[in-house]
Amino acid sequence: MQRRTFIQGLVAASALSSIPLTRAFAESRVSAVSVEQLPLLKGQLTLYLGRGEGGLYEKVLDAIRERNPALDLRIRRGATAALANTIVAEARAGVRRADLFWAVDSGAIGLVSEQGLAQPLPKDLTQHLKAGFRYPQWAPVTGRIRTIPYNPQRVRAEQIPKNIMAIADSKLSIGWAPAYASFQSFVTAMRLLKGDLQTASWLRGVSKRATSYAGELGVVMAVERGEVDIGFANHYYTLRLKSGKPDANVELAFTENDAGCLVNASGILALSQNETAINFIRYLHTREVQSFLASEAYEIPLVRGVEPPTGLPSLASVSPPDIDLTRLAELRPTLDLMRDVGVL
Amino acid sequence: MLLKHSAVQRLALSMGISMLLASSPVTANGPIGDHVNQLQTHLPTYAQEVDWLIGKVDGMVGTYEAKGKGGVNSEELIEHWEAVDFHAAIETNYVPVYALIWQSLFGVKDGIAKEKPVAVIRQEQQKLEQSLWQALGAVKLAAQYQQQGKLAKRGNDNQLTEPNQILAEIKHRLDRVVAKAAEKLPQQATDIVHNTYLNLFEGLEGRLIAEDAELVESLEKDFNVTLPLALKNQSDVEEIRKVVSTMQVKLDKASTLLQQAQSQSRDVF
Repeated sequence: MQRRTFIQGLVAASALSSIPLTRAFAESRVSAVSVEQLPLLKGQLTLYLGRGEGGLYEKVLDAIRERNPALDLRIRRGATAALANTIVAEARAGVRRADLFWAVDSGAIGLVSEQGLAQPLPKDLTQHLKAGFRYPQWAPVTGRIRTIPYNPQRVRAEQIPKNIMAIADSKLSIGWAPAYASFQSFVTAMRLLKGDLQTASWLRGVSKRATSYAGELGVVMAVERGEVDIGFANHYYTLRLKSGKPDANVELAFTENDAGCLVNASGILALSQNETAINFIRYLHTREVQSFLASEAYEIPLVRGVEPPTGLPSLASVSPPDIDLTRLAELRPTLDLMRDVGVL
Repeated sequence: MLLKHSAVQRLALSMGISMLLASSPVTANGPIGDHVNQLQTHLPTYAQEVDWLIGKVDGMVGTYEAKGKGGVNSEELIEHWEAVDFHAAIETNYVPVYALIWQSLFGVKDGIAKEKPVAVIRQEQQKLEQSLWQALGAVKLAAQYQQQGKLAKRGNDNQLTEPNQILAEIKHRLDRVVAKAAEKLPQQATDIVHNTYLNLFEGLEGRLIAEDAELVESLEKDFNVTLPLALKNQSDVEEIRKVVSTMQVKLDKASTLLQQAQSQSRDVF
């Protein structure tokens, strides 16, 4: 999937420092609300929906529709990046067809935001979100974290470096999926945090001991089979695998305060100043929807007071980097770098 | 050769899925005419075109038999096929047979170009005729569906919301991959594979992992390695069809698993 570069600057936080998730929870004072506390939705809304999660987003939308019979919800579905481009093209042509854009990755949100098309969100909407995930013009819905899946029969947890950069110098055999969009977002985060030179050096170092797989599930499966010691993958592949195969030989390790434990997010933005659109976003942040997506899609809830998916280790020891997620749209330089190094 | 009853039934079963979910075909041969939305009206024309094509091919092979390679311009085979309305009618309604037509058309054309024995070329000609008659039967069936309002109009995949619908669409697009390979358009075929993976399959695999991770891994390899490699190497169409058929069996299994999982998933509110 190609994403376009976009202008930075949506988020107030600028320093690329870490925010322990435990602290993030503590900083949020307002817990998620129940759907029972929200007003009924009325009128017409057009949602552009990026495909993903095998129909679970559709199930959320069906439930919202069922609960709000006076809501005329019209949905246009497509690939997230394609819909982002469509929104920008429509705006250039002087038309606006969508009231809302729900994207499966934050890079596409960045593409739309940089055009000045996203409407500001009321503060009381974002206060439910955990610190580090509050943006003035878009709302993260759920998160996914980068992890190091490892095979406990081949390697002990303490043998895995806590610094992602140090893995390039370790003797561990590695599984990776360089062509996979999630991996490329992770490399983009590394570039933003460490610069191109260090990232290129890291890619060269890892590639010497890495086996490539078509996707990140393939990476996790290879770790589980013992083909490699560790891998790089989003958390949900391991959780879903263990859900279907509880005795799978794979555990999760996390690096600290670097791209190796990046938390990326799906998100939604409003394209029109429409109270119903804003209230629609509130529905996605309810306890019920967040809990549903955590339990059924293994996504990480980003509002306070909702339990993370079963099987995700305590977040107390995890400290993802503080990074403007919309900057992950800066994919082109990442692909160029990966090609230069010879891993793509 | 007319379709036998059991063949019609099998065709109807598979078309019952592919027709209702058919979406946004992209042809390499120009715009699809409005006639595909009025199949019944155009059936006599299609039948005439099939007769005409069969006659043209037979004449060309006969000339080859009499005068050799220098006596015929085999490029005209492709031109004739691309010129008829029936081309779009079958492409938009039953891609597997469309692929067979291209495959045997090139069988005749390449046979002449390589100066193969007439008997070999006649075998390809026979396959082409069988495919054309089968295609006409499929279009007649599609016309009946269309008359009954059961045939979706072209060009809209926005209604694909349920996993089983999406999986059926993936299977349909894989049929198109075979068709493009048969047309000797490997890059278009590869683009369809990549787009189908990114836009349709990747959205489903998350839920499928918990049900059967090895199935997902196997399909990931098919989408990202096996099928693109077969296309890149310009493998024989039969080999590509075999890869696709294997994938379609796996997708059927995925559909069953996801339907079971969906029936067990909790309510949102």
